[in-house]
Amino acid sequence: MITYLTKDAALVGTDKKEACRFMGCKEPLSEALGELYEECLELYMNTADLKAVVRETSVSFINDDETVFDFGTVKSVSLRKNLDGCTRAFVFAATAGGKVDRTMKRLSLISEADGLVYSCIASSGVECWCDYINRELGKTNKLKPRFSPGYGGVSLEIQKSIFEFLDVQRKIGVSLTESLMMVPVKSVTAIIGIIDEKQ
Amino acid sequence: MNIRELLNKRRIYFDGGMGTLLQQRGLTAGEKPEMWSITHPEVLTEIHLQYLNAGSNVISANTFGANCLKFTNLEQIISSALNNARRAVELFEGDKSDCFIAFDMGPTGKLLEPAGDLPFSKAVDIFAENVRLAEKYGADLIIIETMNDSYETKAAVLAAKENSDLPIFVTNVFDEKGKLMTGADSKAMIAMLEGLGVDAIGMNCSLGPRQMLPRVKEYVEYSSLPVIVNPNAGLPRSENGATVFDINADEYAEIMREIALLGASVLGGCCGTTPEYIKKTVEKTKDLPFVPAVKKDYTFVSSYTHAVEIGNEPILIGERINPTGKKRFKQALRERDIQYILSEGIAQQERGVHILDVNVGLPEIDEEEILTASVKAVQEVIDLPLQIDTVKVSAMEKAMRIYNGKPMINSVNGKKESMDAVLPLVKKYGGVVVALTIDENGIPETAEGRCAVAEKIIKECEKYGIDRKDIIVDPLAMAVSSDERSGRVTLDSVELIRKRLGVKTGLGVSNISFGLPARASVNALFLAMAFERGLNCAIMNPDSAEMMQSYYTYRALKGYDEGCLDYIGFASDVTVNTAKNTSGQKTQGSTDTLYYCIVKGLREKAYEKALELLKAEKPLEIIDSHIIPALDAVGKQFEEKTLYLPQLLMSAEAAGKAFEAVKTAINTEGTASKGEILVATVKGDIHDIGKNILKVLLENYGYKVTDLGKDVPAEVIVKVAKENNIRLIGLSALMTTTVEAMKETIELLRREFPEAKVMVGGAVLTKEYADMIGADFYAKDAMGGVRIAEELFSAKK
Repeated sequence: MITYLTKDAALVGTDKKEACRFMGCKEPLSEALGELYEECLELYMNTADLKAVVRETSVSFINDDETVFDFGTVKSVSLRKNLDGCTRAFVFAATAGGKVDRTMKRLSLISEADGLVYSCIASSGVECWCDYINRELGKTNKLKPRFSPGYGGVSLEIQKSIFEFLDVQRKIGVSLTESLMMVPVKSVTAIIGIIDEKQ
Repeated sequence: MNIRELLNKRRIYFDGGMGTLLQQRGLTAGEKPEMWSITHPEVLTEIHLQYLNAGSNVISANTFGANCLKFTNLEQIISSALNNARRAVELFEGDKSDCFIAFDMGPTGKLLEPAGDLPFSKAVDIFAENVRLAEKYGADLIIIETMNDSYETKAAVLAAKENSDLPIFVTNVFDEKGKLMTGADSKAMIAMLEGLGVDAIGMNCSLGPRQMLPRVKEYVEYSSLPVIVNPNAGLPRSENGATVFDINADEYAEIMREIALLGASVLGGCCGTTPEYIKKTVEKTKDLPFVPAVKKDYTFVSSYTHAVEIGNEPILIGERINPTGKKRFKQALRERDIQYILSEGIAQQERGVHILDVNVGLPEIDEEEILTASVKAVQEVIDLPLQIDTVKVSAMEKAMRIYNGKPMINSVNGKKESMDAVLPLVKKYGGVVVALTIDENGIPETAEGRCAVAEKIIKECEKYGIDRKDIIVDPLAMAVSSDERSGRVTLDSVELIRKRLGVKTGLGVSNISFGLPARASVNALFLAMAFERGLNCAIMNPDSAEMMQSYYTYRALKGYDEGCLDYIGFASDVTVNTAKNTSGQKTQGSTDTLYYCIVKGLREKAYEKALELLKAEKPLEIIDSHIIPALDAVGKQFEEKTLYLPQLLMSAEAAGKAFEAVKTAINTEGTASKGEILVATVKGDIHDIGKNILKVLLENYGYKVTDLGKDVPAEVIVKVAKENNIRLIGLSALMTTTVEAMKETIELLRREFPEAKVMVGGAVLTKEYADMIGADFYAKDAMGGVRIAEELFSAKK
C-alpha cells in the first residue's frame, strides 16, 4: 500500500541553523542578510508544496553487503549495517514541489544572492519534511536512522526501482533524469529500517 | 455510429479500474501490467468483457504505460492489448455497434524540459510511435489519461493529431486544490485542449467522485466540449496491508448521478472501481435526460498555470519584450542574452500586466531559433500567458508548437497571403489571434472600412473552424500627429466592430502619440477613452506610470475594483517609492558611502549612492576608488572566512547596481572587458547555482561571461569556445555521476581547441580530482574562480 502524504509547509517549518550551514554562514546573520533571509523564508512558505509517498517493504540479506527489498537488491556495506536486524523497512520519496524549482530559477535571474538563500532554505525545508515523515512513522514503529541512495556507497541506480515501487512520478510529480537526478531538485528518497521489537 | 457523433447524442460510459483486477488475478508488485496482454491474454479479455456486460461502451486497452522508454517489444504489447479488447467485443452478446476500443495513453514517466530532461519534441515522438501502432491495430479512439502535466498533455495530443484521425479524449489529474502537479488549473486545461481541437475532456484518478465535484462544475461551466469524469473509488486507505478505497459501488453511483446531472456526459471509473461500480453507475444515470455540451463564448488565453479571460475587465498586454527602438534590447538579442529578455518579462509581471508580448524580430538574427528559445525560457520562470509576436510564419509555428498553453497570436491581417499562412496554424495549435484591419488596399480611413476588413477576416476564420471568440480585432491606432482624425476613427472602430461583429478588440495604444511631445499623457488618456468605448485589451508599456494610473483609475471608476483595493495598492506604491527616494538623498554620514553600501550588500542604496557620487566625481574614478576597493575588501573577507557566500553575492550585486548607475554616465555600452570566459554546468547535471555565482562575480570584476547554462553537452561547449575564441572555460558539476561528463568535455577541448584553459569547480571536486580529469585549474569556490581569471589574464597582458 502506497501512502500519500501532504502537509502545509508552515506546519512543517524549516531549520535556520541548517539553512545557514548550507549557505556557508553562521548565525547571527548580518542585518542585510537577515532581512533577505526573512523575505526568502516567507516566499518559501508560499511556494512550497510538500508531498510524499511511503511504502513498506520486506528486508532480507545476502552475504555481508547485500540487502534485498521488495523493489530490488542493493549492494552496500553501510546500508546492510544500518538495517541489521530488520525484516521490514519504510521507503519514501518526499518533495517540496515544482514551484520551488521555478521560484529558485526566477529568483536567481533577479539576484543570485536571493536565489542562493532561497535555495538553502528550501533544502532545509525538505529535510524538515523528511524529519516530519520520520516522526510520523516513528509514532507506531521503532526506527533506524534514515538512509538515502547516493550515500554510503548505495548506487543511484536503485532510484529507478524505488521510483517504480512508489509510483513517484504519478503520485507526487517527481521524476528521474537520465543521469538519475531527481526533478524537482528539492526532493529526497530514503529507506528507514523498522526495528523488530519482538526480537 | 462513430463515437464523435455519439458524444452529442447520448451519455457514454467508460470502463473502470484495471490494476486492482489484475492484482486479484495474480499480478505481482514488481510485474508490469502491460506484459500480461501477452502472457495472460484470456485474463484481459475476460476483464474487458465484464466491463462490457456492466454497460461500458468504451473499454480501454491495457496500454497505459506502454511506450518505447519502457518496452522494447512495444508493437507486440500494443497489438496484443488491442486484440484482447477486440476479442472481448466479439464475445460480447449485446449490441456490438455500441462498443468502442480506446487506446489508453498514459504519461511517459519522465518530466519534460525545462523542469525535467525530456525534450518536448522527444515526448511527441514517443507518443507518435504509440499512436501509429494504435491506428495500425485498430483502436477506435485514443484516451490520453492520468496526465498531471499540461505540457506532456500537449505533446500527447499533438502526436495523436499528427499521426491519426482517431477521436481524442483527454483526462487530467487534479489534486484537491484543483491543480495539476505542474500547476495548471481547470480553466488552463480547458483553454489549451479546446484550442488543440480534441473531442472530449475531463478528469480522472487521484480523487474520488465527491472531491471531483468542484472541478466538474468548472468544466461544465467553461468547456464547450463533452466532459469526461473517471474518478477513483474514493480515497485510498490501508487494510491489512492492502489498498482499499473508501466508497462502495452504491455510494459511487449516487455521486456519479449528481455528476451526470451537473452535465458531465462521459462517465466511468479509475483506480479501485470495478465492473460493479460501472454497472451501478449506468443503472443510476441511464434514464436521466441527456444534455449535449453547449458552446461557450469565453475568450481564454492560457499559460501552464492559469487562463486569462479577455472579456469584461480590461486586460493589459506588456509590450517591453520587443527590440523596436531599444538599443540595449537589440544588443541582448545579438548576444543571445536570454537573461535580459527574462528580466524585462519579470519586471512587467511585477508591474501588473496579464499577458506578455514576445517579439524578438531583428533582421540579423535567426528568429526561429531565438523566438523558440525565448518562449521556452520565459515560460520556465514566468507564469503569464504569452502573445507570440512575429511576422515570420515559420518562427510563429515553432513557437506555437512548444508553447505550454493557449497563446495569443500577433497577428493576422486581411491580406490573403497572411490569412493563408497564419490561420492554419491557429486551427492546428489553438490560440487567440489578433486580426489587424489592414489588407491589400491598406488601412481603411473610416470605422466602416476597418469593420469591413475585420468581417472579411472573421469569415475566413470560419472556413477553418476558428470561432469568433478566438479573434481579437485590432483596428490600428495611427498617429494623431499626422492625421487629427485618427484618434476618433480608431475609437469609433473599436465600438463599431464590437457591436456589429460581436468580437473582442485590442489596440497597440502607444502608437497614437507618435510624433507628439509628452507622449505618456496622450497614451494614458487614450487608453481610458478606448476602454470606455469597449476595448478589451491593450498592448502597452507598463513602465509608464501614467498609463498604469489610467488603468487602475479606470477599473476603480467602473466598479471592477472591489473596495478600490487595487487602486489603493497602486497609489500607495507610488507614494512609498517617492518617499524612499527623498529620504535616500537627505541622509548623510560615515556609514552612508558607496563603499559601505557595497560591503554591506545594500543593493538599492548602492545604486542611489553611485548616482549621487556622479554629481561630483568622474565615472572611472568611482569605479576605481569606490567600487573595486569595496569588492576587493569583501572578497578578502570571504577568503578569510569572516564573511559568507550570500553576503559576498549581495555585495557583488550591490556593486553591479553601482556599475549600472555609472554606466549610464559613461554612455558607452560594454566598456572593454578584461577578458572573456565561458561557463557551463556539464552534461547530465542540472544544478547550476555554483556556476551562476561564479558568473556574477566574474562580471563584477569586469570580465565578459558567456553562460551556456546547465546540462550542456561537451560538443556545444567546444563549439562555442572555438567559434568565439574564448580561452578560459569554467566547468561546474555537483554530482559524482557527472564528473565523468566533465572529463569528457576536457578531453574533447584538448583535441579540438587546445588553446583553451579549463578551470573546474563544484561540490564533489577536489584538487586531486581536478588533476585526475586533466583540468588546468581547480577553483575551490567562486572567489577562487575569480582569482584564477585575474591571474591568467594579467599574466597574458
